[in-house]
Amino acid sequence: MQLPVNDSYGQSSEHFQQVQNNNSLQQEQQDPLPSSQQDTHVTHIPEPSPSDHQKPLKFHSSVQQFTSLEASKQRMSKLQIPTNPRITQNLGVVISNGPKGALPDSSKPQKPAYISIRGKSSINKVSSDDIADATLQPGMFPPSLRAYVERALALCKDDAQKAVCQDYLKEIITQASCDGSLFSKDWDIEPLYALSSMLAKGISKQVAASVKLDSVSTRRVKSRWEPVGEKLEDIKDSIDADSSKTEVLEGSKGQEFAVSPKKWEKQETTWINQQQHHITSTKPSKRGGQKIKKPDPGTGGVGTSSESDTDLDQGGFHLGSLLTTETPEEKRKRQTRTKRFERSKEYSGPKGSTKPKLQGNASSRRASAIRLVMSVGDVNGQAVEDINWDSLTIRGTCQEIEKRYLRLTSAPDPSTVRPEDVLRKALAMVQSTPKNYLYKCEQLKSIRQDLTVQRIRNEFTVQVYETHARMALEAGDLAEYNQCQAQLKGLYSEGISGSYNEFTAYSLLYMVFQNVNNRDLLSSMARLSHAARQDEAVRHALAVRSAVATGNYTSFFRLYRTAPKMSSFLMDLHVERMRFEAVKCMSRSYRPTLPLSFMARTLGFSSLSLVNGLDEKESDGLEDCEEWLKTHGAQVVYESSTNELMLETKMSAATLFMPEPEDVVPHGDANLAVNDFLTRS
Amino acid sequence: MWAREREEREREMALDRRDSVSSAPWRGNAAGSLFFGAAEASRKLAEYVNSVIEALSTQNGRTLASLLAISSANSFCELVASALELAKEPIKILKQVDKHAPLGDMLSNHTKCMHSYQQRRYVEAFNALEKSANMFLQEFRSWESAWAMEALHTIVYELRTLAQMADREMVANGKIPDKLKGAGSFLMKVFGALAGKGPKRVGALYVTCQLFKVYFKLGTVHLCRSVIRSIETARVFDFEEFPARDRVTYMYYTGRLEVFNDNFMGAEKKLMYALRHCHSSKRTNVRMILKYLVPVKLSLGTLPKEWLLQKYNLREYLNVVRALRRGDIKLLRHALHANEDGFLRSGVYLVLEKLEQQVYRRLMKKIHIIQKLKDPARAHQIKMEVIVKALSWLDINMDVEEVECIMAILIHKNYIKGYFSHKSKVVVLSKQDPFPKLNGRANIL
Repeated sequence: MQLPVNDSYGQSSEHFQQVQNNNSLQQEQQDPLPSSQQDTHVTHIPEPSPSDHQKPLKFHSSVQQFTSLEASKQRMSKLQIPTNPRITQNLGVVISNGPKGALPDSSKPQKPAYISIRGKSSINKVSSDDIADATLQPGMFPPSLRAYVERALALCKDDAQKAVCQDYLKEIITQASCDGSLFSKDWDIEPLYALSSMLAKGISKQVAASVKLDSVSTRRVKSRWEPVGEKLEDIKDSIDADSSKTEVLEGSKGQEFAVSPKKWEKQETTWINQQQHHITSTKPSKRGGQKIKKPDPGTGGVGTSSESDTDLDQGGFHLGSLLTTETPEEKRKRQTRTKRFERSKEYSGPKGSTKPKLQGNASSRRASAIRLVMSVGDVNGQAVEDINWDSLTIRGTCQEIEKRYLRLTSAPDPSTVRPEDVLRKALAMVQSTPKNYLYKCEQLKSIRQDLTVQRIRNEFTVQVYETHARMALEAGDLAEYNQCQAQLKGLYSEGISGSYNEFTAYSLLYMVFQNVNNRDLLSSMARLSHAARQDEAVRHALAVRSAVATGNYTSFFRLYRTAPKMSSFLMDLHVERMRFEAVKCMSRSYRPTLPLSFMARTLGFSSLSLVNGLDEKESDGLEDCEEWLKTHGAQVVYESSTNELMLETKMSAATLFMPEPEDVVPHGDANLAVNDFLTRS
Repeated sequence: MWAREREEREREMALDRRDSVSSAPWRGNAAGSLFFGAAEASRKLAEYVNSVIEALSTQNGRTLASLLAISSANSFCELVASALELAKEPIKILKQVDKHAPLGDMLSNHTKCMHSYQQRRYVEAFNALEKSANMFLQEFRSWESAWAMEALHTIVYELRTLAQMADREMVANGKIPDKLKGAGSFLMKVFGALAGKGPKRVGALYVTCQLFKVYFKLGTVHLCRSVIRSIETARVFDFEEFPARDRVTYMYYTGRLEVFNDNFMGAEKKLMYALRHCHSSKRTNVRMILKYLVPVKLSLGTLPKEWLLQKYNLREYLNVVRALRRGDIKLLRHALHANEDGFLRSGVYLVLEKLEQQVYRRLMKKIHIIQKLKDPARAHQIKMEVIVKALSWLDINMDVEEVECIMAILIHKNYIKGYFSHKSKVVVLSKQDPFPKLNGRANIL
């Protein structure tokens, strides 16, 4: 992809030269444009964009109106230079080229005005200006430096900081070019925090600097540094870059800009902003730097040709590198393009630091992550889809099998993330460890985290979640179980195989017991495939549901006894309620008494003792049953004739109650009991 | 669907009238669908625009509605779409509307939608229509009277149906469908514009019904609640003043909601209202109401005549009703199993499932009657073994404990009056009214 682009630029350079030579002629041709058209153009408010640009833009343009008279001369002179003559030529009427056309006698007399503006930046650094000019020639920066500058700017919280930061950056770059380290230095690992410390003390300097601004720019200072202004400026940048492409390529990329005239109008407006920007901007990396033009004492023809060179280089430069702050739309396109270069070529722009340098320091990666996230922030939904998260995916290098779980508060560091083969060992370790659930849970959570940050979604992932879900069920940890179940649902729906039916059964049971509304239950039942309905666990779950729906306690507790896999742990959730309902039903319908032995059998007490007793000695669970009945307010009497304990039904019907659950702890999570906490460490 | 039929009927009427009202001679030509040249296309388009302008200036909502219709059989869709393709500067022609009302952009979006619709690019069509609808709504708000209500309803209807088509297209292209959701939020906006006091409120129920359709389709029925509250709590407008078709649709959907909430009494009331007000010639609609009303009535203890089920082709309930009459558990289970998918999808499965207890009750009643014939003195005592044997004749093999449990539940839930003696394994029925009437009892279950 890159090659044809470069080629086209080669072509365009020749073409460009021609255009430049004809430039003055061109302008004269455009001069007769009706002035009314110019006016409407200058004050034109761009098509309201879906994002938040509208307001600031309006503001800009209104300012424009107010100051247009006093500033017109100055502005027009300024406007003249950044106007890419190629655009001018090709757009002709569409752009209407207002400000430029308004100038009666074209570029030559206006040059000095522009130069005086350039002088602005040289106020600060007269001595280093020459060097800076030399090094700041477009195309001369290493891409890593550009990335560095953008990272630094991304850290700035407000406009003042940004301005200071730009000053500081300029200093750094000038210095680097002085001692020749501009290209040798590894900007990717250059620390940014030195900058942030600078920001604090630099503010006063900034205030002093702003005093020097001329009246027009002072009035506009506020609006200019608004984020939108910044963005617009970059649109202009990008359009600059793309404009030459537009004609030469006539390809899809070019058309993005060529299609709608509105876009060009917008651009024109931004050029005005752009101009304002130049008045105070000391931003070294982008326009400020590239726009440096030496006062050319030569004739107009020579002057324009040198100018064209500069602009051309600049265009080529933009194409090769990438800008970070743009309009959402532009950003999206740009990002996809970035990806292309990243894969194929040596590009190491803003985001380049993430992928090629997996081992790189966390701060740079984090910066890129932040930038990506920020860029996502103001973009509408579509753009999020288009962002390729691959560039942020890391591959772990940690070889430790055991790892404590810590909730991530920053971008993950590959050196602490385990790759899949280590995670497999870790899972095996968790499955075989004799330690308690809390330990296992933590280990599993850290495994899950490592899987997530590396975006591993395969059968192993399913295995981890299934293992954790089962263990959580066993330990009664519903919160974790729920998380796992939710993840599993997504994983299964992606077609990754696992114990699908088993977990379908669990989720059905869970829905039944959580009193999910009928509609949800119905829809998940309707979704069951015929194959799933034949599965033992699912069939069991459906039978349990039916038993709960009809209040059939006999059937419920029989199913409880025969529950497959971990289903009985889920049914535990409902046992208490089911028993209570059952006893209520019994005490209403049976007269006069009911033997406890029958109740213990029917209500599943006997099976409880089967778990810890030896199998030949099945406990009848009478004591448990009696205990339970008494705590629930039932009246138990001793029947001497049969030597049996009996439930006195008529009296019990009135006195039954549901006691408060015993295992309630003040902090609401029984798993955080002190004993467990102590065994943990 | 049943409401749609009503709409279609309405629309047919509208179309008939349109043909007489506008009686545009050029529509005859349009049947040929394609024009011969750009000039003719431009002329046709201009005529279309003029009709819109005329409808706007005479405030003829019905004509405007038919001009804006997209999916109905004889809409202007095809004509406009082909005119749009051939005409020179179609936007300029469409902008003519701006002279009368600022709807030029709306119309250009609307015709774009028609064009995309004609080419079966439904996502595009939906996006254009959404824009058009928003602009129209904005304009509609500024109109004092409700003359354009019919046009607004047409747009609402088209937007909803188009959203479903767009979603299908998105699914086919492997995208996540979200257009119906978008249509839902637009409809909510429309509802907001209509639901207040004033002459426009009469159209609010139609939008509500369209919203129901969206929410039921999306499975987000909980969102219906806020709309229902707004309709039912407002004192300024009597429910009976809404058009009948909207009332019927509304009651049908709210009745279904009550079925989900297991509120059978409420469901019966609403569905009965819908049935009573639904035009009897609309068999599909009557059938849809009955589909929910029958199970609700069954659970309240009212059995329908078989001819009713036959007439409205509700055969899936035939065996359920027979099982209830005979006390045949096996038949009920069979009927439920045979139509499981359908019942699950329509949402009546859980209602029908609970009928099992009524079938047991019926069986007990039969045993009781037989015993009374044999030995009236001891008829109120039904031995466990008798019940188990009766069940085994029905091929239902349950042990004593299970049957005991079912009997206990029947007594507990007041299907049977009496008590159970565990010691002697006998159900002792109350001598007075052992099988109380179910009417009005179902909601206590």
